[in-house]
Amino acid sequence: MAGNLALDPVTFEVLKNSFITSVDQMGEQVLRTCYSFVIYNRDFSSALHDAKGECAAQGNQDIAVHVGTLHFTCQDVMRHFEGDMHEGDVFAINDPYAGGTHFSDVRLIRPIFADGKIIAFSQSNGHWSDVGGSVPGSFDVAAREMFREGLRITPVRLFDKAGLRRDVAHLIASNTRDPASIIGDIQAQAQATQVCEREILRLVNKYGRDTVETGLAAVQDYVERSARQRIAALPDGEWETVDFIDRDPAGGEGMIPIRIKMTIKGDRAIYDFTGSHPTIGSIYNSAFGATFSAVAAGMKTFFPDLPLNSGFYRCFDIIAPEGSIVDAKWPIAVTGFLMPFEKIMNSIYEMWSKLMPERALACAFNLEYLLTGGLDARSSDKPIFMFYDWLPGGWGGRNGKDGSNVTTACFGTGLMSQPVEGQERANPILTTKCEILTDSPGPGKWRGGAGVVKTSRMLQAEKTVISYICDRERAVVWGIEGGLPSMPHGLTLHRAGAAAEERLGSIFSDVPIGEGDVFSRPTAGGGGFGDPLLRDPRLVIEDIKDDYVSVERAAKDYGVVVQTIDAELCEYEIDRAATDALRAKIRAERVAKARLDPEVVAQRFRSGAIDTLDVIRQHAVILDWGTGALLPESTRQFREVFERRSVANWAAD
Amino acid sequence: MQNLRVAVDVGGTFTDICIMDEATGLIRIEKTSTTRDPIEGIMGGVSKAGIDLSRVALFSHGTTVATNALITRRLPRTAVVTTEGFRDVIEIRRANKEDLWDTYKDVVKPYVPRRDRLTVSERVDAAGKVIQPLDTDAARKVARILKRRGVAAIAVCFMNAYLNGENERAMRDILLAEMPDIPVSISSQVLPEIFEHERFSTTVVNAVVSPVVVSYTSRLGERLADEGYTRDLLLLHTGGGVMTPASVKDFAARLAGSGIAAGAIASRYIAGLCGFPNSIGLDMGGTSTDVSLAYEGQSRITKDWYIEYGYPIRFASIEVLTIGAGGGSLAWTDPAGSLRNGPQSAGAYPGPACYGNGNAQPTNTDANVTMGRLGTSLAGGKVMLDPELARKAVEDGVAKPFGFGLHEAADAILKVANANMSDAVRLISISRGYDPRDFALVAFGGAGALHGVDVARELAIPVVIVPPNPGVTSALGCLLVDMQHDFSQSCMVGADEADSADIEAQFAALEKEALARLTHEGVAQQDIVLQRSIDMMYRGQWRSLAVSAPRPIGAIADLVKSFHAEHQREYNFRRDDSPVSFFRLNLKAVGIVPKAEFAVHKPTGATPEPVDRRRVWFDGNGLDTPVFQRDDLPCGFSFQGPAIIEQVDATTVVPPGASAEVDKYLNIIIRVKE
Repeated sequence: MAGNLALDPVTFEVLKNSFITSVDQMGEQVLRTCYSFVIYNRDFSSALHDAKGECAAQGNQDIAVHVGTLHFTCQDVMRHFEGDMHEGDVFAINDPYAGGTHFSDVRLIRPIFADGKIIAFSQSNGHWSDVGGSVPGSFDVAAREMFREGLRITPVRLFDKAGLRRDVAHLIASNTRDPASIIGDIQAQAQATQVCEREILRLVNKYGRDTVETGLAAVQDYVERSARQRIAALPDGEWETVDFIDRDPAGGEGMIPIRIKMTIKGDRAIYDFTGSHPTIGSIYNSAFGATFSAVAAGMKTFFPDLPLNSGFYRCFDIIAPEGSIVDAKWPIAVTGFLMPFEKIMNSIYEMWSKLMPERALACAFNLEYLLTGGLDARSSDKPIFMFYDWLPGGWGGRNGKDGSNVTTACFGTGLMSQPVEGQERANPILTTKCEILTDSPGPGKWRGGAGVVKTSRMLQAEKTVISYICDRERAVVWGIEGGLPSMPHGLTLHRAGAAAEERLGSIFSDVPIGEGDVFSRPTAGGGGFGDPLLRDPRLVIEDIKDDYVSVERAAKDYGVVVQTIDAELCEYEIDRAATDALRAKIRAERVAKARLDPEVVAQRFRSGAIDTLDVIRQHAVILDWGTGALLPESTRQFREVFERRSVANWAAD
Repeated sequence: MQNLRVAVDVGGTFTDICIMDEATGLIRIEKTSTTRDPIEGIMGGVSKAGIDLSRVALFSHGTTVATNALITRRLPRTAVVTTEGFRDVIEIRRANKEDLWDTYKDVVKPYVPRRDRLTVSERVDAAGKVIQPLDTDAARKVARILKRRGVAAIAVCFMNAYLNGENERAMRDILLAEMPDIPVSISSQVLPEIFEHERFSTTVVNAVVSPVVVSYTSRLGERLADEGYTRDLLLLHTGGGVMTPASVKDFAARLAGSGIAAGAIASRYIAGLCGFPNSIGLDMGGTSTDVSLAYEGQSRITKDWYIEYGYPIRFASIEVLTIGAGGGSLAWTDPAGSLRNGPQSAGAYPGPACYGNGNAQPTNTDANVTMGRLGTSLAGGKVMLDPELARKAVEDGVAKPFGFGLHEAADAILKVANANMSDAVRLISISRGYDPRDFALVAFGGAGALHGVDVARELAIPVVIVPPNPGVTSALGCLLVDMQHDFSQSCMVGADEADSADIEAQFAALEKEALARLTHEGVAQQDIVLQRSIDMMYRGQWRSLAVSAPRPIGAIADLVKSFHAEHQREYNFRRDDSPVSFFRLNLKAVGIVPKAEFAVHKPTGATPEPVDRRRVWFDGNGLDTPVFQRDDLPCGFSFQGPAIIEQVDATTVVPPGASAEVDKYLNIIIRVKE
């Protein structure tokens, strides 16, 4: 009901918008002055907090992955410096064990004083390009504990009324590979928090301290009320799903389950992770803060118009078993928390797709992150180079709409991919291909979006190693409502002079490479939505014209038989009779194919009778894609969910 | 004798024609409806206004033809030829989304679909060396296929071509050999700058709109010539200058924001005449508000703009921030009980509730009617406003849900709208390091002068200027322009390694190109002004900042000094100990068009009588307020608020506490003090 506010509606609306604008101004300032190329490509966020450290506003362009963690770090700083905060102070923290995400995300927090008392905090969080540790970029997939990952910054005072505390800044910067840039980012972020301070003080000056304080609480109440109203309008019930990390490098074969049971009761949602796997022997673990963020970001996707603040976080509870992969404790390595993060987000997409079919969404591709570093031997002084790269991929098919092509990973849709021309200037690497990958979209009545493939050749370089952080080589991107999976991730390397390429897969580190070596990484398309045999053949023809789908896979995946009239003019024709016949045949055989003895499937793959996409899409079998060896436990797990998401939704005729 | 200047601004609804007599400096306005083929509306308006085209010395035009073609995708079939392996640069883009949370809202599809993006084998490396010559057999095959497909335009976009356009030029020649009449845009010529998506996207936009605007401008040029016009048609581009049809085919994409620039130019010019080199333009129309800023007489320029998100056009453009707040913006209450304003709009039809076309939701216009700020008609009686319907909408939509009185509710609607506009002004001023207290606000557009003083008070801007014809100020902007071209070139070098002779040589090359173009357009040598700037950054930063540079270039150390100062002004910090890098050289080449003087009026000493008095609500008080006709207000007339000034194209509100004076150009200058 209108008027149900602690403030008059005009003051409330003005303050609400001004708070968000003040945070957006922080973001704009960071973007324009930062040194970290990761921040520049929009891996950052900013927030305004009330005097209790609760989040009152986040920005419009902030990355999803930090949502729901900023209040934790603000409150941790408050605990450490209780009674010892002063005007001009700025504190730093990057602690994932205190609610942060990973060491790379460094937060600067400024208390804002009005009338000598703290009224608010402003926080700027940016992904620094390096925070030390054993590998450039601070992503060591072989780490099992935090000690080789990077510098852990528990709350420290980085600025005081006299300005930058050079001793502290120097200590932090000296533990990274690029101290000069780190000092630059510290100044950029600290200055950004001051932009927000200026705006808040302007509001205090205009409306008075009490009104602004009331406003900081009222905007949270408003978001909470909005979210609760919408949840209450949904039916009560329970929804369950499971998604997987590919493997535990320290364990045996078999995917690592993350289980979620969601309960909607009245105006609340409860997410219970009971049954999820214990932490694993790699960096793909999530501490509680990151898990909380994944739930908040996943759910927020279904409330796209709501402003973000702590009011939203009051609408759900999380049950995360201690020591599980979603609640890692110090000193377990968590730098790769994005892998569980994206599994949680996609699981939430799946469950909410049942609740809100009009916003349904199949699985999106998984983030992949490549790190190469060494000496650039193109010039005689051989400077160090560091090449970090990430690619977009396909998003899941939707209800009535194909998935979005070549889009940034779901952990942050504002993140930009990098220009090849910039990369080629800075690194001894020539990209020979960066293009949409035909047949990558998961088939469905509404297909997934397309992924890409990027192929790069090393030029003159010395002492160079390559590491790769990716997933969903086995827990392949899945479809829903009868839609099909897309394709496995994984990097291949073709060494100079070698006869064949070798498959390095989706997780490895410190592999030496040299001049002339060529490496290639595909990203998956999105999973399909709905039975692909129900896709309008005219849409399949359009996809063929654009080479999103090949003529061959149009037949295999969609049962659409196409005659090529004139490829130069993009003229194709549907063979109606052949299409009807082929669709009937696929319908009759597909359930049996999805249950065919996996060993037989593996043999047929090794003999060359079928290819990777056939193995995944028709047989739901998971192999070691390099050797063709069957992975029985992974296959069992994959088939279990494939039966539920795909087979059970196929129409018999 | 050729002594008329004519400017035409074609908008979505109206075509505004602004006619200035050079001898008297007097300005006349003709307004007609925009037609399906805009040329019919223009020629109709010219004839309705009784303009003898043989007497016209300058005919300039702001057009939305290119913008509309892009947005509606009514584009001729266009192809892209690109380096093998890079077919999808314009589809992959930077892969990010505009709406981060709505998974059903996608970035729009690229202007050229994948099927019409063909590749050839060729490659230039990061040092500019051709490491793979163009495969001419493959290139000829591509040309043959595109000819069979009957494409109307082609963009050639090769990797690293910003360093070496040799392969692109070879490809263009092969295409032209096969299809001599097809426009071919090549990226090394359109925008020789690093970063493939931004360069390709600009080149592709240039190619797709090229046939559209070339055909449009040549048809219009012919019609004007048929009717007696003897000079070049001048076309307003986003950089804030004009070009002739001779340049349109090479830089067609520069017309893609033509309409938006005009208002910013007029605002800057008028403020300058009034003695305010620093000004903020507030152009409020029916559905949106455009905010622009000029500092020390120069409009802010950005290279970060687009017509549709994801497809940058990296030509220098006047920076304009558009928000969804206009006269028709809807006030509404969301389910959680908050009072909102816009961005949804009642549009031109059905329009505000008081139009009586069936919309029952209150708009800003309805709030203004309820408060008595607007009378009972608009556009000199062409649109009648029903105050009963306005009051009912405000009552039902806002007063009842919040338990407000009627005028309290209308006041609340306007306050939220004004706050939203103030936020937009803050983004373009305070957050860029400008203090609004040093600025004048130019309030124009149909609704700008209704809200101008309130917005100025919110931001502590001391002065509001309301031009004589606020509703057609954009057309006036088209009259006030010079010939202008902007050139740029990547120049990535550390300031400590930079050789000023080398940079001078690069600028000289840009200047040679600029001079050739302006000369080709008929500009005399003595009318040409060249302005240089260099985009610089602290080494390691990712965004650059433009710093103006002298001609000749002088000492590098002085440029670095200017950069530190500019960084301090814009971002409030500097790093004197940090090395500085150059990123890009920019050249603005201006061919000065002598401006006609606006007519100067003398104070008459007359005191006009109000044509009406009515009750207008300010801060909860209904005050008896005089209503003046704008045409009645003579130069030198000064008065105190409250007052309402009505004219055909706008209504001005001077609230209590403000004082106003009509200056010698008949602008109303309002001192807003409370």
